[in-house]
Amino acid sequence: MKNSTGVTSKTIVPLGLAAAGALGTVVAGWSAWGWFTLIWAVLLLGAAAWLTRDTGFSASAATGDNPMIDNYLASREHFGDAVLPVWCRHIENSRTQMEEAVSDLASRFSSIVDKLDNALHVSGAANQSGSSMTEVFAHSETQLGSVVTSMKSAMASKHAMLGQIKDLERFTRELRGMAEGVASIAAQTNLLALNAAIEAARAGPAGAGFAVVATEVRMLSMRSAETGKEITNRVGLISSAILAASQAAEQSSEAEDKSMQSAEGMIEAVLNEFRQMTDALVQSSELLKQESVGIQGEVGEALVQLQFQDRVSQVMSHVRENMERLPAVLREHRAAYEASGVLDALDPDVLLRELQKTYAMAEEHAVHSGARLAAPAATDADEVTFF
Amino acid sequence: MAKTIMVVDDSASLRQVVGIALKGAGYEVIEGRDGVDALSKCTGQKIHLVVCDVNMPNMDGITFVKQFKQLPNYKFTPVIMLTTESQESKKEEGKAAGARAWVVKPFKPEVLLGAVAKLVLP
Repeated sequence: MKNSTGVTSKTIVPLGLAAAGALGTVVAGWSAWGWFTLIWAVLLLGAAAWLTRDTGFSASAATGDNPMIDNYLASREHFGDAVLPVWCRHIENSRTQMEEAVSDLASRFSSIVDKLDNALHVSGAANQSGSSMTEVFAHSETQLGSVVTSMKSAMASKHAMLGQIKDLERFTRELRGMAEGVASIAAQTNLLALNAAIEAARAGPAGAGFAVVATEVRMLSMRSAETGKEITNRVGLISSAILAASQAAEQSSEAEDKSMQSAEGMIEAVLNEFRQMTDALVQSSELLKQESVGIQGEVGEALVQLQFQDRVSQVMSHVRENMERLPAVLREHRAAYEASGVLDALDPDVLLRELQKTYAMAEEHAVHSGARLAAPAATDADEVTFF
Repeated sequence: MAKTIMVVDDSASLRQVVGIALKGAGYEVIEGRDGVDALSKCTGQKIHLVVCDVNMPNMDGITFVKQFKQLPNYKFTPVIMLTTESQESKKEEGKAAGARAWVVKPFKPEVLLGAVAKLVLP
């Protein structure tokens, strides 16, 4: 701030104070001390002018002579002692909190990775059991197929038996025909015997012997007729029994055919469902595996990002240590003034050089010289130095 | 049996991160908070490799490697320096101390694992 005459207020205040002091001294001391007082006032003004010569602050020849500078330096030291530890504590507290939080975050990631590994392991095992399930499936399919085949061959032999029964039916029909043939032969023989008896009667006593033969033949024909009838009866019985058996066999064969077909259909349906299930299982475990690989990639990225805490923590530590140095720098400055009586300007380079010496990262040097940087990228494989 | 790797870093989060990467690859991990802590944990057990930070309180990484290499059991144990430090002079110090590789943070897990797999003792 400048006033109209272009003199800074920093100059005005000490000069004004000195002038007032000089005037006061002159007024108060004139009567008692006379010229001595006037000389003292002029000295006071001179000292003020010296003090304000360019920076506004300068030591008088001897240290500790100027209470204002002493007070100022003491208050500055007090300021440094009071403020910087608080700033540093805040920085350190934040750094610690961040470290704990990131550490906790990292351990959570670690447990996620563990769980993921377990899940992968389980799914891998499921996948293995999936493949064994496919094997079981193929095995069951073969076994059920052989059951169906043996059932089918049993059916075929049953059909053959049915054919044989039908053949029997044909035989009995033939037998019946033959029995009818016997009956007709018996009837004709009977007629023949009857004729022979008539001819024997006509021959009179000469035909008596022939009449006996004719009677015997007739009796034989009657017995053959009876036997033929009996054969026909029996064949009829056998035939109807065979027919009933054949019908029953045919019915049961039809029923078995139907149940055989439905069993085959059911087996196929069950196998289909089973196959769909195993296919789905194998697919889902494959999907899980792919997803897990993706998630592991993400976790890898997160692990790169989480390392920011280490960098930030280092930078904060470096800055904090540098800030902690400031009270000592102020103390040294005061001591130098007290020793030499010369109040030099504070040199920022002292602290900046010290700060620079603590830098570990290229990033810190860049930021120091005014660059704004994004977080550095993760190291690539070709950036690893092997010795 | 799983191979044992010692991770020495003053940052707990970085020890975690390195630990996750190594455990994920099937290694067992021992942790050291700084050079002094790590040396106190080198009690003669088999350590197949060490991953070590450079800037640490109490004892820095370079000093640790020098002292670690003095221990009869660990003379041939390979050490990978894992650090934010990328200055060539520091790398030379690491090489002179007996480190076998220098990896600059932040690292990709696969890059670190590649270096570990290359150097780890059988």
